[in-house]
Amino acid sequence: MRNIRTKNNVDLSVEIAGIKMKNPVLAASGAFGYGTEYLPLVSPALFGAVITKTVTLLPRAGNVPPRIYETPMGMLNSIGLANVGVHRFLEEKLPELLSHHPLVIVNIAGNTMEEYAELAGMLNGQPGISAIELNISCPNVKQGGMAFGADPIQAVKLTTLVKKATSKPLIVKLSPNVSDIAAIARAVEQAGADALSLINTLYGMAIDIERQKPVLGNVTGGLSGPAIKPVALYNVFKTSRAVNIPVIGLGGIMTAGDAVEFMLAGAAAVQIGTAGFINPNTVKEIVNGLKDYCLKKKYPEVSQITGKLAV
Amino acid sequence: MLEQKVNIVSHQKIAPDVFLLSFRSDYLAAKARPGQFVHLKPSGPWPLLLRRPFSINRIKGKNIFIMYRVAGRGTSILSSLPQGAELDVMGPLGNGFEIDKKYSDHLILAGGIGLAPMQFLADRLKTMKLNARLFYGCSGKKDLLPCAVPGKVIATDDGSCGYKGFVTDAFLSRINKFRTPVVYACGPWPMLKKTARICRENKIDCQVSLEAFMACGVGACQGCVVKGVKEYLTVCRQGPVFNSREIDWEQEATL
Ligand SMILES: Cc1cc2nc3c(=O)[nH]c(=O)nc-3n(C[C@H](O)[C@H](O)[C@H](O)COP(=O)(O)OP(=O)(O)OC[C@H]3O[C@@H](n4cnc5c(N)ncnc54)[C@H](O)[C@@H]3O)c2cc1C
Ligand SMILES: Cc1cc2nc3c(=O)[nH]c(=O)nc-3n(C[C@H](O)[C@H](O)[C@H](O)COP(=O)(O)O)c2cc1C
Ligand code: FES
Repeated sequence: MRNIRTKNNVDLSVEIAGIKMKNPVLAASGAFGYGTEYLPLVSPALFGAVITKTVTLLPRAGNVPPRIYETPMGMLNSIGLANVGVHRFLEEKLPELLSHHPLVIVNIAGNTMEEYAELAGMLNGQPGISAIELNISCPNVKQGGMAFGADPIQAVKLTTLVKKATSKPLIVKLSPNVSDIAAIARAVEQAGADALSLINTLYGMAIDIERQKPVLGNVTGGLSGPAIKPVALYNVFKTSRAVNIPVIGLGGIMTAGDAVEFMLAGAAAVQIGTAGFINPNTVKEIVNGLKDYCLKKKYPEVSQITGKLAV
Repeated sequence: MLEQKVNIVSHQKIAPDVFLLSFRSDYLAAKARPGQFVHLKPSGPWPLLLRRPFSINRIKGKNIFIMYRVAGRGTSILSSLPQGAELDVMGPLGNGFEIDKKYSDHLILAGGIGLAPMQFLADRLKTMKLNARLFYGCSGKKDLLPCAVPGKVIATDDGSCGYKGFVTDAFLSRINKFRTPVVYACGPWPMLKKTARICRENKIDCQVSLEAFMACGVGACQGCVVKGVKEYLTVCRQGPVFNSREIDWEQEATL
């Protein structure tokens, strides 16, 4: 289904892990809830695909408040994967989101590898789900999360196990809190990942000097927002050169210019996280801005930006 | 819920560190309920990241009023904005106070800047011809904030005006005067905690407006929770107004 191109027409569609999306701007996990909280302000339909808040097998209450704090051009969060659990997700949240958007990617996490595999298996039977995003990079939970994302051997084991449990495309979301992200990326590629998302948040903390206590109830949190953009961009640049599967870039993207930077560095698509909290119109502005950039550069297809960086 | 650009119509200092700001919004004027809030930031340069939440203080015609205290960088930047400056406003957000005519007396308890959402509530109670009363506590006479409600009881920590002591004590000393009262409270956590206890002991229905750091303001990020008796509750979506019985008052105050 190729768009018919006229002079002012840019084909904004991209194909990632076999999923054809109408544009390369995705909602990042945890920033767009279950996809409908922002109605009527932001329609999920504006995104190329919506990635849901991490879903776990059992409901999770999340960490002790306070859970968020503002830092210079960034925010710390220690939400701790608070979610309704997969059963309520499938019964209540997914149908509502699907009524607004046919392309839903479900982000999952577990305490153990078996839990990840069980979840992936359960979701496999759901025709509405386009792909699975494996969260092996959450800095805010004690079990699972980072434990699997920081060690290539664990990451491979987990990816292999999940890949066996599902026939859906598998996207693995990586953490920057490692010494060599490209090594982890290559490992999960070999284990069968169809695409990568990077980056998740960076470890961080803030201290209340009056109370002489950490600001966050969980002591530490994950840093996101413009403050992490240079780090994210570097990780995307480094990783996309190390693997042959598509890389989806995120971390501090606020404007179309930021999205172009990530694509030039090698990203096939981008995700919007923190920016959406501040400017709900971010998705519209980035999609339009990408189109303008392509027109200016005379690219008939947005995918031509990917990897164009001259170094 | 809408996001819109508005211009500041009036902006003045009304007490030490406290400002009253107004802007015009036909949408909010038509849609907002007392207790709801807006999530805002200047639409020009804003060296900060997140929006900041503020209760709707009053609606006069199409003008929306915000009463705020300078608490940090954001509110201090806000306070420097001149008339005409553009604001980026999301709202109305949250659930608002529930007003039920079955009560004989609608008692408003406010501490400090907790008075902010109460003028709107008092105005609405008046339109509904309900019997409203305000108990308002602040540190002293110089910090008194304006609120037009008949039958005000003022309490000050230093006794420079009205009852000397906590607003909760002023309220407790008059509690037997009301037949089937309901309490609406907003203020610092210890005051709310005390209010909730007094109301529980006296079998009075009580609604409290709470605060938390917010990112999204719409229930998407799970960032602004308080501990309820059963589960965490999002202040932005399930609140900011809660039935006081829903809240676990033993948790450490987060703000
Ligand atoms: C639903 C809701 C309605 C509110 N309505 C009003 C109002 O009508 N008038 C008013 O003056 N304030 C109101 N607040 C509080 C107001 O949002 C904060 O004072 C403001 O966000 C502080 O921003 P800042 O950048 O100045 O402070 P920061 O630099 O972020 O922090 C400075 C200080 O302010 C405190 N603070 C930061 N965020 C909040 C917060 N969300 N709530 C309380 N304290 C905070 C911090 O603990 C810190 O001590 C409301 C808060 C909520 C959640
Ligand atoms: C409040 C909040 C909650 C998040 N929750 C999740 C989550 O549940 N699962 C996940 O994979 N990433 C989660 N993230 C990480 C984001 O998806 C994203 O990787 C990160 O914020 C960096 O992008 P940004 O700078 O554009 O926000 C969360 C981020 C924030 C700010
Ligand atoms: S501020 Fe995001 S859930 Fe309340």
